[in-house]
Amino acid sequence: MSSQQVNAYVNAMFDIAIANDSVAVVEDEMFRLARAYESNEALRSSLSDSTLPTDRRQKIVEQLLGGKANNVTVQLASLLVGTGHVSLLPQVADALVKRASSEKQLEVAEVRSAVALNDAQKTRIAEALSKATGKKLNLKVVVDPNVIGGIVATVGDEVIDDSVRTRLDQVKSRF
Amino acid sequence: MNFISIVLAAEDPSQSHHWLFPEIGEIIYGSIASIVIFSALYKFGWPAAKKALETRTAKIQKELDDSAAARRDAESDAVNIRKALGDIAGERARMLAEADTQAAAVLAEGRARIAAEVADMEARATAEITAARSRIGDELRAEIARLSAAATSDAVRATLDDRTQQELVDSFIAKVGASR
Repeated sequence: MSSQQVNAYVNAMFDIAIANDSVAVVEDEMFRLARAYESNEALRSSLSDSTLPTDRRQKIVEQLLGGKANNVTVQLASLLVGTGHVSLLPQVADALVKRASSEKQLEVAEVRSAVALNDAQKTRIAEALSKATGKKLNLKVVVDPNVIGGIVATVGDEVIDDSVRTRLDQVKSRF
Repeated sequence: MNFISIVLAAEDPSQSHHWLFPEIGEIIYGSIASIVIFSALYKFGWPAAKKALETRTAKIQKELDDSAAARRDAESDAVNIRKALGDIAGERARMLAEADTQAAAVLAEGRARIAAEVADMEARATAEITAARSRIGDELRAEIARLSAAATSDAVRATLDDRTQQELVDSFIAKVGASR
């Protein structure tokens, strides 16, 4: 049921994004919103709190994205909150990114970094990963403090982990 | 002379021809009378006496037989009683021996059970102590590892300035780019 709902939302959002000629922007913003939703407990609780009126929760989304995100992205996120399916946001966003990438013959590469990356670094990382995997990539960068330092890249089923967190975990496992 | 006169005359020594022997006639009459009397006695008295004697003999014999039978019965009873007494003593000895055997078996079983329970309790206590020691050791190691990792993470975070972060990013790009 959940998978069917995700597919339904993804198909609808993709069509809407195409109609508004904003697929690349929408899928990128939805991706970032999903990561924020995953990492921010307060945001997750607020958007999932059924005791809050729906329009109040939709207002939170609009205030959060207003002025910073494409209007289509705001409306699609608000739709998920309004239908009570905000918990599907990460799955929907990931599927939307995958769908959009697939349309462009690209593979999604999720890069988690402890610090924000500039455009030059993103380009170099994309080129390096593309070279390493032999695939054209749609790079998605997530700033994740848990990484501590370095980068964790996931391309399909392949994970390239050069993070400080993993090195510390390896040291910890030796105790 | 009638018979009485003869008798009276016989008693008178002066009337007899001899002081000891009666006259021939008296002897004959006396003999005949004796024969008659003895014959009568033999014919009429002897059967009755014989019958009485036989009856008495049979009675005495019966009493003797009864006495013998009673004695045999008494002896048989005595044998049975002695045998019963012997059986009772044997049974008593057997029951005492059986009770002793059962008591010894119960005692041995109880000792063995208690010994097994004590051994089991000791084994469980030892296992629990070992497990607790191991668990505490593991928990201690895990806590030390956690604290060490946290301390290390904090120390590493503190040392990771922007320049180091950028170097780590560049290092990643270099490693990945050189992988093929």
